[in-house]
Amino acid sequence: MSAPFAHVTESLIKHRGVLGAMVVGLDDGLIVDSTLQVGVNGNAFAALTASLYRKARRSARAAGFGASTFLELAAEQGRVCTAGGQELVLVVVCEPRVNVGMLRVELLRAAELLP
Amino acid sequence: MANDDIRALSEELAADPASLAFLPLGEALRRRGDLDVALRVAMRGAERHPMRPDAHDLIARISADRGELSRAIEEWESVLRLSPDHAGARKGLGFVCFQLGRLEDAAAHLEAALTYEPDDGSLAAALQTVRGALTRGGIGADRSTVAVQRTAMTGPNDAERAHAGGAPLSGSARPTINLPAAEQWTDADAGALFDDLLEGQRSAAMLLDEEGLVMAGRYVAADGRDLAADIGAQLSGVSDEASRAMRHLGLGAWTQIVFETEAASVAMAPINAGVLLVAAARPIPLGFVRRVLERAVERSRAWLGGMR
Repeated sequence: MSAPFAHVTESLIKHRGVLGAMVVGLDDGLIVDSTLQVGVNGNAFAALTASLYRKARRSARAAGFGASTFLELAAEQGRVCTAGGQELVLVVVCEPRVNVGMLRVELLRAAELLP
Repeated sequence: MANDDIRALSEELAADPASLAFLPLGEALRRRGDLDVALRVAMRGAERHPMRPDAHDLIARISADRGELSRAIEEWESVLRLSPDHAGARKGLGFVCFQLGRLEDAAAHLEAALTYEPDDGSLAAALQTVRGALTRGGIGADRSTVAVQRTAMTGPNDAERAHAGGAPLSGSARPTINLPAAEQWTDADAGALFDDLLEGQRSAAMLLDEEGLVMAGRYVAADGRDLAADIGAQLSGVSDEASRAMRHLGLGAWTQIVFETEAASVAMAPINAGVLLVAAARPIPLGFVRRVLERAVERSRAWLGGMR
């Protein structure tokens, strides 16, 4: 049996600068499917990014801004981008220098496939 | 509605799933804030009674409360197909269109609603707010404050939650245009610290300290109230969550958070122990929001340096 979202994560990791792509349960932060380069701690990124996305989603709603569609966390040594549906989110771990615009478009497009 | 009433309605619905008890039950759950349960109840009811406008209206109002504006629009449009004179649907669509920046559509829906309910004062006030926003959008930079429109409109049947009355933030905040000319900004005016950076754009910026309290910037409602404290309090928690995550991810300190929602783009950056936050109405490109954030960061650092 093939992994259900392998085509999504394999497509995302082909982008230059992308170190890992995962489909993650929004509520539990557990990996559903992933394509990771060696050395990327997928479990930690999945859990913490899902938690951040949940927080952003709740905060945005509370502030009256509606439902969240995309989140990017930039740090000194990398970036994490997230987009998602109601149950699953896509999480992409990247190097600091990555074409965020292209990645955002791809993420939002891929996120439409998620439940 | 008391918990006992909700329990009674639940029991009635369990005993007879085809009953119309789902309507008051869904509404009671919505008012209590149990939006997930309310939506499930309303969806099941609408499946059994797809031709009832009030079932779709209930789903729409719950969706609007959940910030799911697309679904709210679809459901209210279903209501109008079933009942073209439904004032609540018109009012709801006006509310959502306003949130999405579709001011002309909002005005058209509210005008239609007002023809059905000419004595509804809240409708008249909402229409006045939308028309005012339409007018100001054409005038541009005449005004002396960051005008973040926070309408007096409410969702249908939600007059008690009118923001103009000082209720907590919920679904009707929306950044909009109008800022002062750069020369109006002075070092002494912390509230106007970022105004010239945002000129002509539907956006707002604020600098928050480590406890989420506003140090500079503003987010001014149409009625003149500054909502920066409310918005800042809601969003500052995101930076706390990011800081927590960074301790485990091995990426160093976070430098920027950007997130997009149905109605707005929000960008944040750490400043000392606090956070700088820029919010812009969704049609404004994300790249612009990031540039504004970067310039606002520079200004904040200079301003904070001058305070020492």
